[in-house]
Amino acid sequence: MVCIRQATVEDLLAMQACNLLCLPENYQMKYYLYHILSWPQLLFVAEDYGSKIVGYVLAKMEEDASEPCHGHITSLAVLRTHRKLGLATKLMTAAQNAMDSVFGAEYVSLHVRRSNRAAINLYTSTLGYKIHDVEAKYYADGEDAYDMRKQLKVRTAHHHGHGHHHHPGGACCSGDAAKPVEADAGTGASASASASANAGERRAGGVQSR
Amino acid sequence: MGSSLPPKEANLFKVIVKSYETKQYKKGLKAADAVLKKFPEHGETLSMKGLTLNCMDRKSEAYELVRRGLKNDLKSHVCWHVYGLLYRSDREYREAIKCYRNALKIDPDNIEILRDLSLLQAQMRDHTGFIETRQQLLTLKPNHRMNWIGFAVSHHLSSNVSKAIDILEAYEGTLEDDYPPDNERYEHGEMLLYKISLLEECGLLKKALEEMHKKEAKIVDKLAYREQMASILVKLGCLEEGEKIYRSLLFMNSDNYRYFIGLQKCLGLYSEKGQYTSDEIERLDAFYKSLKEQYSWSSAVKRIPLDFLEGDNFREAADCYVRPLLTKGVPSLFSDLSPLYDHPGKACILEELFLQLEDSIRMTGSFPGRTRKEPPSTLVWTLLLVSQHFDRRGQHAIALAKIDEAIEHTPTVIDLYSVKGRILKHAGDLAAAASLADEARSMDLADRYLNSECVMRMLQADQVGFAEKTALLFTKDGDQHNNLHDMQCMWYELASGESYFRQGDLGRALKKFLAVEKHYADMTEDQFDFHSYCLRKMTLRAYVSMLKFQDKLHSHEYFHKAAAGVIRCYMKLHDFPIRATTEEGDEMSRLPPSQRKKLRQKQKKAEARAKKEADEKTEEETSSSTSKPGKRQHTRSVDVDPHGEKLLQVEDPLLEATKYLKLLQNNSASSLETHILSFELNMRKQKILLAFQAVKQLLKLDENNPDCHRCLIRFFHKVSSFPAPVTDSAILIWNVLEAELPNISQLHGKSLNVINQSFLEKHKDSLMHRAAAAEMLLVLEPEKKLEAIKLIEDSPNKLAPVNGALGPVREWKLEDCIAVHKLLKTVFINENAASRWKARCAEYFPYSTYFGGCRSSAVAFSVNHNVQNAPENGVLAYQETKSEESHSLNGKLQAFKDLTI
Repeated sequence: MVCIRQATVEDLLAMQACNLLCLPENYQMKYYLYHILSWPQLLFVAEDYGSKIVGYVLAKMEEDASEPCHGHITSLAVLRTHRKLGLATKLMTAAQNAMDSVFGAEYVSLHVRRSNRAAINLYTSTLGYKIHDVEAKYYADGEDAYDMRKQLKVRTAHHHGHGHHHHPGGACCSGDAAKPVEADAGTGASASASASANAGERRAGGVQSR
Repeated sequence: MGSSLPPKEANLFKVIVKSYETKQYKKGLKAADAVLKKFPEHGETLSMKGLTLNCMDRKSEAYELVRRGLKNDLKSHVCWHVYGLLYRSDREYREAIKCYRNALKIDPDNIEILRDLSLLQAQMRDHTGFIETRQQLLTLKPNHRMNWIGFAVSHHLSSNVSKAIDILEAYEGTLEDDYPPDNERYEHGEMLLYKISLLEECGLLKKALEEMHKKEAKIVDKLAYREQMASILVKLGCLEEGEKIYRSLLFMNSDNYRYFIGLQKCLGLYSEKGQYTSDEIERLDAFYKSLKEQYSWSSAVKRIPLDFLEGDNFREAADCYVRPLLTKGVPSLFSDLSPLYDHPGKACILEELFLQLEDSIRMTGSFPGRTRKEPPSTLVWTLLLVSQHFDRRGQHAIALAKIDEAIEHTPTVIDLYSVKGRILKHAGDLAAAASLADEARSMDLADRYLNSECVMRMLQADQVGFAEKTALLFTKDGDQHNNLHDMQCMWYELASGESYFRQGDLGRALKKFLAVEKHYADMTEDQFDFHSYCLRKMTLRAYVSMLKFQDKLHSHEYFHKAAAGVIRCYMKLHDFPIRATTEEGDEMSRLPPSQRKKLRQKQKKAEARAKKEADEKTEEETSSSTSKPGKRQHTRSVDVDPHGEKLLQVEDPLLEATKYLKLLQNNSASSLETHILSFELNMRKQKILLAFQAVKQLLKLDENNPDCHRCLIRFFHKVSSFPAPVTDSAILIWNVLEAELPNISQLHGKSLNVINQSFLEKHKDSLMHRAAAAEMLLVLEPEKKLEAIKLIEDSPNKLAPVNGALGPVREWKLEDCIAVHKLLKTVFINENAASRWKARCAEYFPYSTYFGGCRSSAVAFSVNHNVQNAPENGVLAYQETKSEESHSLNGKLQAFKDLTI
């Protein structure tokens, strides 16, 4: 009934509209652009029979070299009118698969409101996430977040031979983590004048990005 | 840079630059002041201080310093570069480019300035300049990957695809065979996919395929690899191989419709318009049946056949499709089926099927032909489906009866209330729709979707104040302020702008519409940082599609609506200048123009002062909390015009409107509305030839449209009323029109009356066409007013040609009837005819509050006269919020008692 496919740039306005209808944490367009221009493989949409976007997942790779290579679900939403179709599960599975196959992510993390029982239930019993930590007062309104994680592959240090094709990525923590913000900071007076460029990375809706 | 300074100051200068780059502006400022203490006229330091202040929101000082710095050191590339950066930060790209070019005259090989210039050229789509600059960068630093890629992209953007491919291949030639190292596999794979997409784009399909086979191991994104491969194979006509790939893609994701379409193409069973011969339908049916065995869990496999099957086969497939979803209780079932309603035959089959299912569940507790008992919820979901079906058919009374039954059966299902609200909206009772949506909202306060839907319904019912309060439950950002604007919540701004416009509050309406326009300007600006970012990240396919997306950003629906809203506001302001002005405007309108201008200048100065003070205040506040750098953007300068009153004080509203009309003409040329607005605006501006252009466009788009007919008649009627031309320009206009006339086929030797008459003859069964013809009769022959009114009143409301199982359906639409009523009232100015029309329509639309239908809330709550009229209602609600304390509930407001949560 509903098509699950990779998102394109043309979908971003509809994804933003869907987010604003459904969720209290919202982002400016630049943040969506930042995602699709950094990890175009990690954004998926659910599109109904009338070509309307009724759900999406917005995901990214964490590029902190001090942590093992892993992905992060920035935002997931499905319109209330399109519940009970398993769309959230399909969107999440698609994003997780891409994190694994393209970027070689070891695990995927996400934040969820402590009170959001339905979502927590989906993450734990359907998708296999576990609570890793609690982040106190993570949300703008003061609510705590669960830091949940799902292991995508078993950490085996050296896979000789047959395991090789499971790790095509490895591009994840390449150290080329420059955000568009810092992207052009050269030397001399000629540094880019990107004083306000931070907007893309900052999640103005209240949740903290890292 | 800073070379003319002694060592100590030269070091300080480095600190300024470093601090600027690391955004430690206070530190930079301190260093700058230390240099200036000794060398108060040092140009580069003055410039850098200015640039630093610019980042601290001290704009005017910044410009002053940067200009002074430049004046003191015209030969410094730093000063020119800084001046360019300053302009750049204010989005004055053309000026910035000039400055960069001056800087490059002094220091032609400065990599940073060249890079900054190239970014602006990409942003401005100066493709020729972009190629030039990228070539220079590559020549200067050929060992940088980015410079190769940038040069290739620059050629791609100017449509020289084969040159772009050559550059990428030359770049590959510089790489070792074992490239890439492990940490660059993703980037290299992206580059290869980009190159392959270029090969496909310029039709080198065989070469693209070869390249894919050769580089398969180096491409990390296997999904993109397969999708691209399949697309190339289909284009090459290698359908068997294509089929194999599509089947493998389907195996990975059987919910992607595009793979099914791809498979159909490979089997020679695809038609863009969905038209198939009976033989093809049979083969398609067999194909999907075989897929169903393989992908039993895929809903697409079951849904797609409903599109091509017909008659009994369709009925059977629909039956099989619908049953399990009713048992499961899937709320989107109706919306999933609704595209099928475009085939009237299918709609009738569905009606029969749904009613039969409802009957069977009600009587036996099972689906027809089954013995297994359904759970009680199946009846609720079936009633919901039936209700939505009749809503779609325009039979609102039946729809409401069914949904009420569902609610009575299980009052806890929230979706039922939402749907009932939607039906009431369609039926014309906006206030009741809003209160239903509010009821749904109150059943799950943590669900923002229910909140959003409620806000939308409130805005549709012109309850702007309540809408804002309700939205605030999710959008509170600090005290008072809500973050809807910061988060670019455009549906909200549009809907409230439209509501304000309906209520005649042009200032607030303009403010909301202009806010949407601003979001689009910001999004255009958003690309800037990605021009260099993507070259490094190598996400080139996404980057190029982003540029294409940006190029048509302003053709997006929300922008179109906002621009149209702005133009309407300005035209109304032009038509009724006094009504729109505020108290001080009244005072102003009494003054002679010369004094008015003085007063206005005085006001502007006072405002600027107030704003500066306010800004300085916020600046102090922010600088005192530097520990949270991310917060900086949150503090916004104080809104000196919260109600949009200043927006109304434009010298020439039509000139303002013209700006936005140009955007529409450039980006929505295929929309009727664009040219109707152009006609209206240019008629007001007496721009005869431009108005004529609009008429020509309209006739080209749809000569049978009632509004196009109106424009045609009004235009030539107006022209015929002009005196014979005397001035040169008037004669010129006349000559152009003369020359163009033979191209208007409608006119050929006929009088306007005859044209109007034949338009009426041609469309005599359509209400809106009759109304247009009647209105034009009034324009052409005002003395025939009563005849014109009779034309409207004689319109027949026929039965729609569908065989509704539960009573007849009439053709007229509510919004059309409301438009006709307004026409009778405001254009014909005939109260009797208007009230006759109202009474007649109240019969057709018993739920309509506008017509005071017997089942509408306007009548149900008629104890309170405030509710009689929807727009008044809205004004009332809005006044309500204006005076926060006086929360006197009046009748209809009972529905909002839950608001204080």
